[in-house]
Amino acid sequence: MLKKIECFLQPSKLDEIKNELVEMGVGGMSASEVKGFGTQRGYLEGEVPNKEVKFLPKIKVEIVVDEEIVDDIIKKIRELCFSRTIGAGKIFVLPVEDAVRIRTAEVGKRAIY
Amino acid sequence: MESAENLLQEVLKEFDEVAEYMNLDAGLSSILKEPKRCLTVSCPVKIDDGSIKVFTGFRVQHSLTRGPAKGGIRYHPDVTLDEIKALAMLMTWKCAVVGVPFGGAKGGIVCEPAKMSSGEMEKLTRRYITEIIPIIGPEKDILAPDVNTNPQVMSWIMDTFSMDVGYSVPGVVTGKPICIGGSAGRDVATARGVMFTIFNVAKKLAFDPLSKEFAIQGFGNVGGNLAHLLFQEGCKITAISDIEGGIYNPKGLDPVKVSFALKETGSVIGFKDADRITNEELLTLTCDVLVPAALENQITQDNADGIRAKLIVEAANGPTTSAADKILEEKGVFIVPDILANAGGVSVSYFEWVQGLQFHFWNEREVNLKLRDIMEKAFENVYRIAREKDVSMRKAALILAIERVVEATKVRGIYP
Repeated sequence: MLKKIECFLQPSKLDEIKNELVEMGVGGMSASEVKGFGTQRGYLEGEVPNKEVKFLPKIKVEIVVDEEIVDDIIKKIRELCFSRTIGAGKIFVLPVEDAVRIRTAEVGKRAIY
Repeated sequence: MESAENLLQEVLKEFDEVAEYMNLDAGLSSILKEPKRCLTVSCPVKIDDGSIKVFTGFRVQHSLTRGPAKGGIRYHPDVTLDEIKALAMLMTWKCAVVGVPFGGAKGGIVCEPAKMSSGEMEKLTRRYITEIIPIIGPEKDILAPDVNTNPQVMSWIMDTFSMDVGYSVPGVVTGKPICIGGSAGRDVATARGVMFTIFNVAKKLAFDPLSKEFAIQGFGNVGGNLAHLLFQEGCKITAISDIEGGIYNPKGLDPVKVSFALKETGSVIGFKDADRITNEELLTLTCDVLVPAALENQITQDNADGIRAKLIVEAANGPTTSAADKILEEKGVFIVPDILANAGGVSVSYFEWVQGLQFHFWNEREVNLKLRDIMEKAFENVYRIAREKDVSMRKAALILAIERVVEATKVRGIYP
């Protein structure tokens, strides 16, 4: 089964992640600059929050992989992006029903590797 | 197990207390206090020297109200009917707490497995199953491993039942090897459930489990696997023990190395890079989280006062006596009771039964995610009751369990 890993991370971590994950067998990746907030409503450590919810710049990384390596990928992303401070990011895992490579019409696992 | 009578009395006393607190109807209460069905069987076995020996076996079904009965079978010289009755009742509550659609059961044979050959064990198992066949089956009563019974014994049970009906019935027993319909993740399930429970407590009580010190009593299927899982998550385990004694290192122990020492020397005390301690000393060590994962009645009124952990997660069944429980409650120790903390085992048994009925099997990741979900929900429910009613987690778990069984009993009504 294919799974999509969608994670929201600190922008500074992107370069390292892309190289490391490709080495682990990830076939492709999309990254986009996004803004968002989480439990802290956009406030950094040390800031005193008021009613205003704030957006912070984040990078969104999307990867589709075989279920077999999902846990290893998550572990690797955690290792690379780990920090004790708030706002290090979140990782989501979604089911993927199917994948199609347009050029060859390959489907499923064959389409992503 | 020498305290079998006490165990039944304790379980009934605990029930009475909660029933009174809940204002439970006397009639309903008397239904729940008595097992639905007790079967005692005599199993003649031709032993290896050619002579015949008769073994006594029991199967008790405490409740069939929420679904088929579910419970393990134990092989032990001290097994008594009273003990099995008490354990069957506890299974009813455990299944109800996590919300799996089972009633509670338990079985046992009075025997000494250490003195029996594998052939004798097989003959005894097959004869016992044949004797109790009328009351077991995937839609009646599903068996499982317990003290001194393992996946091999479960395989003989599955085979004996299947031979009797004429086709393969994986759903009559759980804890089977994967090749005959066992579930991925079943062997580590109890430990994994305990780990999820620890993390659920951490979230609620707002502490970081990675900054805490863990002491684990017992290094078997539950304690050993739990030590490995916690270590993989980055937790610091400072003390571990098995039946021979314990080891302590304030800098932390690596369960992989401890397992290696256990393999080499036969006990965790063979691990050299730590101080030797006794099982009793382990319980009263300076630590944050204490996990009793060995036998029952370990934390008693004699040592409860000396316990320094702020959190106790009962991975074993009945590790805390009721007298000790009161002392710990007064001290403000947060205790996650056995029927909640170690219910990961029966939850994955439920998954195994479901998979067996459908002949459709899930991968380990799927099993683990579903287990996490069940443990999270059960913890949330018990914690909410504990907060709302201002009672201990133990009482809250029992309230939730009894409520669920009572609700089912009421809607089904009294037959005829």
